[in-house]
Amino acid sequence: MNVPLLSAAGLTRIYASGEERVIGVREATLTLAAGELAVLAGPSGSGKTTLLNLLGLLDRPDAGRLELLGEDVSKLDDRGRARLRREKLGFVFQSHQLVPVLSAEENVALALWIRGLAEDVCRNRARAALSAVGLAGMEGRRPDAMSGGQRQRVAVARAIVGEPALVLADEPTASLDSETAARLLDLFDDLHARKEIAFLFSSHDPRIVERVPRRIRLVDGLIVSDELTTGGSS
Amino acid sequence: MSLRWWRLAARNLFRHRRRTILTGSIVVVGFVAATMTAGFVAQTFRGLKDITIRGQGGHLRVLSAEAAGRSDEEAATLLLDRAEELTRSVATSPDVLQAMPRLAFFGLVARGERSVGYMGTGTVPALEKSASITAEAVAEGTFLSDPEADEVMLGGGLARSLGAKTGDLVTVMTTTPDGGLNAIDATVVAILRWPIKELDDRLLFLPYVPAARLLKAEGKATSIAVTLKPGVDLEKAAGALRARIHRGGAGAIVKTWIESAPFYLAVRRLYAGIFLFTGLVLATVVILAAANTMTMSVFERTREIGTLLAIGMERRQVRNLFLAEGLLMGLGGSIAGAIGSLLIRAVLNASRISLPPPPGATSGGVLNVELIPAAFLVGFVLMTVTLLAASWWPARRAARLDPVEALTHV
Repeated sequence: MNVPLLSAAGLTRIYASGEERVIGVREATLTLAAGELAVLAGPSGSGKTTLLNLLGLLDRPDAGRLELLGEDVSKLDDRGRARLRREKLGFVFQSHQLVPVLSAEENVALALWIRGLAEDVCRNRARAALSAVGLAGMEGRRPDAMSGGQRQRVAVARAIVGEPALVLADEPTASLDSETAARLLDLFDDLHARKEIAFLFSSHDPRIVERVPRRIRLVDGLIVSDELTTGGSS
Repeated sequence: MSLRWWRLAARNLFRHRRRTILTGSIVVVGFVAATMTAGFVAQTFRGLKDITIRGQGGHLRVLSAEAAGRSDEEAATLLLDRAEELTRSVATSPDVLQAMPRLAFFGLVARGERSVGYMGTGTVPALEKSASITAEAVAEGTFLSDPEADEVMLGGGLARSLGAKTGDLVTVMTTTPDGGLNAIDATVVAILRWPIKELDDRLLFLPYVPAARLLKAEGKATSIAVTLKPGVDLEKAAGALRARIHRGGAGAIVKTWIESAPFYLAVRRLYAGIFLFTGLVLATVVILAAANTMTMSVFERTREIGTLLAIGMERRQVRNLFLAEGLLMGLGGSIAGAIGSLLIRAVLNASRISLPPPPGATSGGVLNVELIPAAFLVGFVLMTVTLLAASWWPARRAARLDPVEALTHV
C-alpha cells in the first residue's frame, strides 16, 4: 500500500480573540498523494491559509492528527518541524519574501544553506533551479532590480531547489497582473510535469482554481467539497 | 557559523547605512574615549609614580629595625647605626644602581627676625642630584656641590616665608637625638620649586656631613635611599636586599616606595573609580544605542524572519544571525575606534598641550597620552561583549517569533 504524502484527520484550529473563540479550521480531513496538484479554494476568511499553515507545519492544530510521509508530525517539537520543512516542503508566499541584500542565486541557495550543504553544491543547484524557472542569466540580480513576476519566480526556485515532496503556495498570484500570473501558472504546470513535485495552492483566484484538477473548497473553516475534475490543465 | 552567514550578517548591517553608521560611531567614540582616558590616566600615574619615587630618593629605603610598623613620621626620628658601612654593602647589591645615606631632621630656620619650621634632609649632593627630583626642582641658584660645605637649598615657599634668596645666610636649628639644641649657619645656594605645595613650604636640604654635625649623628642615617637599576622587579629586589641585610646582621628593614606612598595610592584609587564610572556610562550608552538599532532591525525584518523560519531555518540560526550582526558591529566599531584613537593620540601628543598641575603638585606638564595595548585589548573585548549583550534580547525575540504571525506582520 502506498503511503500518502500527506494525511490530515480532524485538524482543528481555534483562535482566541479576547473572550471570543474563532474557529479557523474545523475538523479538516484530507489526504494528498505524491505528485498531486490541488488547490484549497474558498472566499476570504474561509480558512484556506490557516489550513495551509497547518499542513505546512507552520502552525499547530488544537486537535487532530497530521502525518507527512507516514510520520506523525502532530507531536514534533520546533526543531523536528523545522527539519521537515527544510527537507520535505517548499513554500511560495503571496509576496515573494526574498531577502533584499541577497542576489537571486543567493536567495535560492539560502534554502540549501540552512541545510548546511557545501557552497558549491548550493550555488550549482540554485543556478539549475533558476534556469528551471526561466531565470538563467539573472543569478546576480538583487530583488530590487527584478520585476514582480521575476521575483515570484525566484521564490518558486527557492521552493523547489531542495527537491521537496510538496510545495505549498499561498495565494501565489495575488500580487501579480494577469499576464504575469498566467506565466507563473504555466511554470507551476511545467514544474509539476517535469519534477513530479506535489503542489498545494491556497487561492480564490479562478485562474488557479480552474486549472488545478483537485479542488478542495472551504467555507467558514469547514471543507465542504473535495472534487477531482478532469477539466484542469495538468 | 559558516562564512556565508557572516557575509549575510555584514550585508544586513548596511541595509540601513545611516543607522548602522550612527551606532558604529557611538562604538567608535566609546572605544576612543576608553583608550584615550586609559592613556591619559597612565601618563598621570606614571608622572605621579616618578615624583613619588624620586621624592623619596629612590625605589627602596633601608630603615632602622625599630621603624617596623611605625609611620614615616615616627621612623624619621630613628637612626641607623653604621650607616656608611651598610650603605656600601647595599650599593654593591646586583639590583642596585646607587645607595645614599639620608638624615631627616626638623626644626626652625631663621633669617633675621623671621623663623619658620622646616623639614630637613641631609643628603649626599652628587647622589641626590641623580636620584631625586631635587635637581630638576632648582628654580634659582645651583644645586649643592660640596659634600661638606655649610650650604642649604630651600623650598620656594619656605624661602618666601623667610624672605631669603640665594647667597643669603640662614640659621638652621634643630633638636639633637639626645635632646640638646644645635644650630649652624648655612648659605642659601638654591631655591627649589617642589611639585607638591605642602612640601615646597617646608623643605630644606643640607649636605650629609653638616647635617650629621648639626644632629650630632656622625656615621648615622635616618634612611638609606636605594635606586634600582632600570627594569628590576621592585618586590624581588626588595626581597634580595632584605636577605642581604639579614645575612649581614644589620638591624634594618627595607621598605618599598609604594609602602610609603599613601597619596599615590589614594590618587590611583580615585582615578580607577572615575575610570570605572566612565566605562560604565560609556557601556550603557553603547548598549542602549545598539539595542535600539537591533530592535528596529528585528521589527523591520519580521516578515523576513518569518520566511526564514518557514523555509526551515532553525531558531538558533536566526538568533545567531542577529548576534553575528551585533558582533560585527562591535568589531568594526572597535577597529575604527582603534584607528581613530591612534590618530587622535598622535595629533594630541604632537600638539604639546600644557597640562595643569596634577593633584598636590605646583607644576604641570605636557600632555602625552600613553599607548596602552591592554586598554585596546580591553576596549575590543568590552565593545564586542557590549554589542553582543545589546543584541541578545533582540536576537532572542527574533528567534522566538511565531512564523505565522511573522509572515503576516505589517
